This record gives sequence, structure tokens and C-alpha cells, in this order.
Amino acid sequence: MIELRGVTKTFGAKRAVDHLDLSVRAGELFAFLGPNGAGKTTTIKMVCGLLRPTSGVVKVGGFPAASAEARQLIAYVPDQPYLYEKLTGREFLRFVVEMYGLDPRASARRIEELVETFEMGDYVDELTENYSHGMKQRVVFASALVHDPKVLIVDEPLVGLDPRSARIVKDLFVAQARSGVAVLMSTHLLSIAEELADTIGIVDHGRMLANGTLAELRDRVQMHGPLEDLFLKLTGGDRPLVDGALLVQARDLDR
Amino acid sequence: MKPAPAPIPPRLSTPAQVASAFRGLRWRLAANGLRLLLTGSRLRLAMIAVCSAIFWAGLFFLFFGGFQFLKSFIPNLSGEFVEYIFSMFFLSLLIMLIFSSGIILYTGMFHSREAAYLLTTPAGPDRIFAYKFFEAIAYSSWAFLLLGSPMMVSFGIVEDASWKFYAIFPVFFLAFVLIPGSLGAIGAMLVAGFLPRRQKTVIGVAVALAVLALAGFGLRIWRTPGEALTSEWLDGLLARLEFSRHPLWPSRWMSSGLVASVRGDWSTGLFYLGVILAHAGLAYLLAAVVARDLYRLGYGRVQGGRSSRRRFGWYGLDAAFHRVFFFLPQPIRLLILKDLRTFRRDPAQWSQFLIFFGLLAFYFVNIRRLSYDVQKPYWRNLISFLNLSVTALILSTFTSRFIFPLLSLEGRNFWVLGLLPLKRESILWGKFAFSSGISLVSTEILVVLSDLMLRMGPAMMLLHMGMVAILCFGLSGISVGLGARLPNLKEDDPSKIAAGFGGTLNLLVSLVFICAIVTALAVPCHLYYAGQDNPEFAGVPLSEGQFRFWLTVAILVSLVIGVVGTVLPLRIGIKAFQRMEF
Ligand SMILES: Nc1ncnc2c1ncn2[C@@H]1O[C@H](COP(=O)(O)OP(=O)(O)OP(=O)(O)O)[C@@H](O)[C@H]1O
Ligand SMILES: [Mg+2]
Repeated sequence: MIELRGVTKTFGAKRAVDHLDLSVRAGELFAFLGPNGAGKTTTIKMVCGLLRPTSGVVKVGGFPAASAEARQLIAYVPDQPYLYEKLTGREFLRFVVEMYGLDPRASARRIEELVETFEMGDYVDELTENYSHGMKQRVVFASALVHDPKVLIVDEPLVGLDPRSARIVKDLFVAQARSGVAVLMSTHLLSIAEELADTIGIVDHGRMLANGTLAELRDRVQMHGPLEDLFLKLTGGDRPLVDGALLVQARDLDR
Repeated sequence: MKPAPAPIPPRLSTPAQVASAFRGLRWRLAANGLRLLLTGSRLRLAMIAVCSAIFWAGLFFLFFGGFQFLKSFIPNLSGEFVEYIFSMFFLSLLIMLIFSSGIILYTGMFHSREAAYLLTTPAGPDRIFAYKFFEAIAYSSWAFLLLGSPMMVSFGIVEDASWKFYAIFPVFFLAFVLIPGSLGAIGAMLVAGFLPRRQKTVIGVAVALAVLALAGFGLRIWRTPGEALTSEWLDGLLARLEFSRHPLWPSRWMSSGLVASVRGDWSTGLFYLGVILAHAGLAYLLAAVVARDLYRLGYGRVQGGRSSRRRFGWYGLDAAFHRVFFFLPQPIRLLILKDLRTFRRDPAQWSQFLIFFGLLAFYFVNIRRLSYDVQKPYWRNLISFLNLSVTALILSTFTSRFIFPLLSLEGRNFWVLGLLPLKRESILWGKFAFSSGISLVSTEILVVLSDLMLRMGPAMMLLHMGMVAILCFGLSGISVGLGARLPNLKEDDPSKIAAGFGGTLNLLVSLVFICAIVTALAVPCHLYYAGQDNPEFAGVPLSEGQFRFWLTVAILVSLVIGVVGTVLPLRIGIKAFQRMEF
């Protein structure tokens, strides 16, 4: 469903994303890992059509990113989501439903369901300007799911959620993936990636260092410790571990 | 590798569905906003209502008096002369609205998180544009309506217009604002698409050109030969205004249409209304097409265009600053340095500062070329005070635009400042010192320049310098104090903070303050100089001794006003700031 081939994005002289290849199939939960400034958000924005790649191809569901079809398929939860302050949570969900041209009766039921799932009943009819960070986050997740997307893209999903909401969100990701949605999630929480992801991609300096299931990654680095050791080993600054051979291998496996 | 199967296209939202979603959004936002306003602070609501009513009434009587005065000279008022005035009025509004809607749309479409959100939804770029466009139009045209409606109502009353005129002039206005709005929007999108890194330069150059054109035009008017209000002078003046009546200006359509409507000449009036409506539609359509093809491209370019240039700190300068201002407490010095650095790195601030004060300096330097300096002392005195007032007025717009929002913006970063080991009130004093420092340096230079060029005596020069100092302290005190008393912690765009209720009130208070100081000192000087060389004024003016006495009184009065105007707002602000919760 998501397909990036040889994608490069430069900001002035800075290469934020450098010849990146990535693909997420329908029903796959892909965790995007990497240190700060590695280029995760930039990649995600290109998938959502907010940035144009300097070179390379980005496709969503077979359609070019930013095309009307691609936008209809996608739900995007950015790292700093936007909510209309002067709308209530429920009004915002209704706006999303109308925007995606859904049947009002069916979607009213869907909104009820989501309000229940995310346990927002207490405050969903208040203006969102009075919400706490986690409350806002839940409304944003509900708005992403309310139109049954085929591609779910989330940037740092669990920041600011309490353990209970985090559990709900995690379960939702898995459920979405199992029902055939392609999920692309960037995160810094290695435990989440370990727990949920079907496939893990590790980027640094805009390049994909390794990409595969956890077992495949372990194989490649010849390490059997937790993901954390693996991540540190792969992205470790001064260690010459990330040699050319590894890079080539990683890219070869991708194809 | 097997070839990928042809993708199955999803069912797309229809444009009608998207449009109705946006309609619903606008409606709910408006309804919720109104409900909040009604259930919120009554006092604030009342203050807004009373202020607007006073403002409207003031303008109404001003225009009413003006039109009546004109009518006593020109019985056939709704003829050529008023058409000229209206043409000029609407032409300047046209230009101002192009700028304001262009700037508002640029930030709204390319720098807001709302735009980023909407661009990922099924809404097409032209739909998003339409939504943001009408928001911007509503935002930038309320001032236009507030200014224009008293003018039209008083004109209608003076000219005994039928009720139909009052019903139709708002339609004229609403159709008219679409034209500059669309032009501004097209400009904003072109800048984003093709000059994404040069937006501030573009605005700077455009504003400079507009101000230069205005200055040149003002000069031509000023130099109209003949005594004021004689028919020869009037003819000369009208000839100089001729360009504003070019039949292709939308402002001309407005003036001709409105003047015809007031006379009850409906075929002409409605013809011009039709012309305006047609062009408004065309301009909007053009803007929508540009949005469809350029919005997304421009958005990507603007987002990618943020420079990641490294900033160098001029740290030597900082050390010098610490040494020069050793008498200020260290934390205040640090805060001032932080503000100075922000000022230096924000071209929007210093470029406007430079443009306006630069133009003023340019005019002052050219005073001798206009041979003002060889005029009678009476004129020179008048001009020197006028120059001073203009400087103060420009300064007050700067303090309202840049200093007033400072504390609101600081509120968002209060987690840093609030935890620093310093008293809350030092933050305010720091802002005050920053503001008065910058304004003192720039305005004193300007006023001294003006006085030197006008060959004013040393005593007058000293007086003017003192006045400017009082004005700088007062305006800074007002902006810092009111900024702390009426903060807007929700908004992070300083221009919107300045355009809000608090900013407007701040500007009003500043204007009243300037008026008080200037009148207190200008009146005795004026009366004194009037007596020196105008024998026909003999009797009214002051003699040397009286002048000394009254000038001393005036200086004392203005000192008192100055101290009150500086300290009172600051105290109010400090009190509010101590109690403020973030
Ligand atoms: N609009 C922009 N203009 C200039 N440079 C940018 C822009 N956006 C990102 N960058 C640069 O691109 C690089 C990648 O940034 P990006 O936001 O994609 O990182 P990230 O992987 O999401 O990091 P984090 O984990 O901190 O969220 C960074 O070095 C950043 O400075
Ligand atoms: Mg990021």
C-alpha cells in the first residue's frame, strides 16, 4: 500500500532523506525507528503529500502521493496534531465524516463506537481547547479511524498517553493491521516496536540502515539481545559497524 | 518480480460533500465562538461594544461635519468633487486590502497547522483555499466596514438619499473587498510558489514601493499652487487626483456607482455594481484556479524553504552591552539581550522599522529642498511639531505591533522565564527598557535631524528632545503595561495579537497620550510664534513673558501626563502579571 523508491529530500544543502526505499503491504504494521533528526517525520510528510520528494517516487495504494485517491485512503496523525479549538470533540469527528463523504447514519454509529472505545464520553461534548494533551490525542486517533482508512500513518503515537490509553491505541494498531490496513508508525519506544511491529526499519541520516522482521535484523547484526542493543549498535555514531556491506545487504533484502 | 496489479481507485468524496463539510465547520465555529462571547466576560463584551460604538459615532460625526462643510462650498456635492474623494479613498483601501489579505492568507495557507491538516484530507486545494479565503476576507474587511459605513451613512444623510441607498451600499462594499482579497491571494500564492525564501523581502519591497508612491503623491498634492480652497487651487488639486479616476480602477467603479446611487440614478449605480460584481467573480475564479494548480506546490516549497542556516551571535557586542549597561541588574540585561537578538533575527520587525523611519529621515533631509527652512518662524514651528507628531504616531504603531504582543508571546514560554531566579516584575521592566531604548535612539535622531534642517533654535530643539523622550517612555509603558494586562496567550501570531481587542485598545490609548502631550506643548508655542509675524493675529498671541510662563506650565503638565502615562500602565501591568496564571 505504501511504496517509496529511491526517495531523496533535501532542505537547502541538507539531505534529510537519502535514497530511501520502503514498502508497507496491506495488513502490515511497520515501525519506523531512528534517532532524532534521522528523517522519519520528513519521510512521513512525503507519504502524506505535504512535502514533495526532491527525487524518487512515493505511492500510496498505487496512486501518487498527494493525489485525491491517495488522500482518500490515508489517515495521518502528525506528531503535533491540529484540532479546532472552538469545536467540541464530537463536532470535529462529524466534520471529518462529512469531509470523507460518508453516510451520516452509519458514521453516527461509528462515532459512538469510537467514543466508547477511547472512553471519551465524559468530555467529547466540550470544546477541545479545554482538553489535556492526552484527551486531544484520543480525539485525534478517533478522527483518524472514523473514516476507515486503508493506510494509517502515525508519527510518535504514544507521546503523552497514560498507560491505559496507550494500551487502547496499541491494540487498535494491531487490530487495524489484522483487518488489512497498512500501518506506518514512527516511534522512539523500542518496546512498542518489538511488541507490535511486523517489520522494523531503522533509519539514520536519512538512510535506511536495516529493514526486516526482528528475527531478520538480529540475524544480520549477529546479535541476539534486545532490540535496544541492536538499535544502538546500528546507529552508534563513531563505531564503524555500519559498513557498506551491511547497507548494501539491507537494501538488497528490501527488493 | 511480478507486475503490480492495477490499483483499485477508492470512492472519492465529491466536491459538494467537501463544500458542505466546510460550510458546517464554519457555521459551528461561528456558533461556538458567539456562544463563548455571550457567556464569557460581560465586561469585555461591553467594552468591545462601547469602543466600537464610540469609534463609529466619532467617525460618523467627523464625516458628517466634513460633508456638510463641503456642501457649503459645493452645493452640488454628489458631483465630481466627491467622486474624486471617494476614488482616492477606495484606491487606498484597495491597496491596503491587497496587502492585508495577502499577508493573512500567506500565513494561513502556508504556515498554519490547520493548513497542514486540511491538505492531508480529501479536500482539494481549491476547496481549502476557498475556506481560508473567506475567513481572511471576513478578518481583513471588518475594519473596512467600520471605516466605510459611517462615511456612507453620513454621505447619504447629507445628500438626502432614499432608503434604498443604505440597503445597497453594503452590497457594493462586500463585492468590492473580493477584488483586493483575490489579488492579494494570488500574490501570496505566487510568492509561495516561486519565491518561497524571499517572502519577507517581497513584502518589504512592496511596502517600500507603496510608501514611496504615497509620499511622492502627498508631495504633489502639497505643492498644489494657489491659496487653499480657492477655485484655482481646487482645479489644480483635482488635476493632480485625476489618475485615481482612471476608468479601469475598481475604486472608480465604487465611487461612480455609490455617487450615482445616492442621487437615485439607479441605472448608472446598478451598472457599476454589476461591473464590480463581475470583476469580483472573475478575480475570485482566477485565484481559485491558481490555488488549484499552485497551492500544494507552494506549500511544499515554503515548508522545505526554511533555512537551516547557522546563526552567529555577535558575542563581542553582547559583552559591550553588559559593560555599557552595568547599572541594570544582570537578569534584566540578559532579558533585554534576548529581545534584541530576536529583533535582529526577525526581518519583519527591523525591516518595517527601517522602511518607515528611513522614509521619514529621507523627508527630513529633504526639508531644505522644499525650502521650509526659509519660511516664517510661525510655519517652521508648525512643521517642526508636525514632524514630531508624525514620528510619534509611527512609533505608536510600532509599539502596538511589536511591543504589545511581546508579553503574550512570552506567556507561552513561561516555563522558562517563570523558573528563572528573578522577580516577575523584572520581566516587565526588561521589556520596558528594551522598548524605550530602541525608540529613544531612533526617534531622538529623527527629531534632531528635523530641527536642524528647519534651523530651529537650541531651546526649541531641547524642548522637542524632551518631548520625544516623554513620548518614548510613555508609549513603551503603555504597550508593556497593557500587554501584560490584556494578554492573548492562545495566539502565537504577533500580528493577530496586535490586531485583536487588546492591541486596538493599546493603539487608542497611545494616540490619546500622544495627543495630550503634543497639544499641551504645541499650543503655547504656536500662539507665541503666531504673534511674531502675523499682524492680523495680534491680540490673541502671547507676549514674551506670557510665553515663558505658559510654556513652563505646559512643560510641567506634560511631565505629569508623561509620568502618569508611563507609570500607571506599568503598575497595572505588573499587578496583572504577578497574578497571571499560565
Ligand atoms: N522544513 C525543514 N527545513 C529545513 N530542514 C528541515 C525541515 N524539516 C526537517 N528538517 C531537517 O531534516 C532532518 C530530519 O528531520 P525529521 O523531522 O524528519 O527528523 P525525525 O526523524 O522526525 O526526528 P525526531 O525523532 O526528532 O522527530 C533534520 O536534520 C531537520 O533539521
Ligand atoms: Mg519526527
